[in-house]
Amino acid sequence: MANQSGSVYGLTILSPIIDDQKAVPSHDLQIRKYLAELPVGVDSPFALAPGTHLARLVVMDDVIYVGMPACEEHLKSKYLVFESNCDGDLESYLAGLAKTVPHHLDAIWGHCVGYPGARDVDAFIGYMKACQIETTFYFAAVNDKSVLQTLRALQTQRAVADFISEHQGHDPAHLQQEFTGFMQKLDSTPAPKPGAGNIERDIKTGGRNE
Amino acid sequence: MSNINGKVYAMNAITPMKPWKTWILRGFFLVLGAVKPLQADLINLSFIEFARWVIIPRRKLPFLGDGQKPEDLQYDYLLFFSNFNGTWNQYIDAFSAVLSKGLNAIWRWSEKFPGSVPVTPFKEYIARLQFDTDYYYTAYPQATANDLKSAHTVQSALESFAKKSEGLGPQQFRDEYLRFVIEVQAHLGETGEAPVVF
Repeated sequence: MANQSGSVYGLTILSPIIDDQKAVPSHDLQIRKYLAELPVGVDSPFALAPGTHLARLVVMDDVIYVGMPACEEHLKSKYLVFESNCDGDLESYLAGLAKTVPHHLDAIWGHCVGYPGARDVDAFIGYMKACQIETTFYFAAVNDKSVLQTLRALQTQRAVADFISEHQGHDPAHLQQEFTGFMQKLDSTPAPKPGAGNIERDIKTGGRNE
Repeated sequence: MSNINGKVYAMNAITPMKPWKTWILRGFFLVLGAVKPLQADLINLSFIEFARWVIIPRRKLPFLGDGQKPEDLQYDYLLFFSNFNGTWNQYIDAFSAVLSKGLNAIWRWSEKFPGSVPVTPFKEYIARLQFDTDYYYTAYPQATANDLKSAHTVQSALESFAKKSEGLGPQQFRDEYLRFVIEVQAHLGETGEAPVVF
């Protein structure tokens, strides 16, 4: 199945945004405003709920006209695009989101057509599946590790680098003793929180052609 | 809007395709998925954490009723989402230089695709059909794709060494330890705060 690469799931959802001429500001702008203020670090809804490696939310205003001789056409709705790279089973992942951060989901998808709310988990999962588009080709650089395994591996990598640099030239008995202590300490250290290490910057970069 | 979070850049692009051409592209992706050696360049470039191509047939955009107007499109659309390390220019340059055949095989079915070489018109095309990300999250903002691969290599080597070294005398332990250090030494690069890129 193209949505899956190993144990990682590539979820693509397009939710039509409510087109209400009387809404001020419009629903798409309300989504954008909420997303602009949503935390991206350890307090992100995707960090609080389990299983997200990387995710994005994008308001797609329209399709793009590439110029003559192509035909110019337009969408009748704007769509909220949710692209997520997550662990394992889709229903468990969506249920995890609905149970952990329902208020965020409601604040975002509440501006979309037919959204039933996240309190009714089954209805929420049904809605998301109705808006899902099958991924045609999915690539993951690492496709056999969970978010937790990856965070732990990054922590181990840092700890091992420090251990090696601090124990150069030590005599074998001392090295062995220190290594035993190192492993015990590493095993008892909790994994870093998802999203940790994010730096909020005043300057926003990452536009096109940078 | 920010297309960047830590060391990853979120790219979104959409291109129109004549519906009959999408079947050719589906066939290509089927082969690409089944024949792993064809993905070698994509894997070896090693700065893409996740990427996906999604073909949206013109009559298959989600329709939920409830006041939503049905779409009436002539084209199918190809959506491309990439999570890569580095800057926009570095990414497109590398794509064009290393994966030009693969890119051409994917986008030649899209309207007005100029080819991935030379790179200048290719960049103009990408810039025209890219749209910006409103919210971008990563669980590990300080790590690149290579960091992830290296970290898992170190984790696996450490677990194996810890198991192997149980019950060894100090001398034998040191010999095993040195083998372990040699095995992981190329995978100990430091992760950290991303540089500001322009």
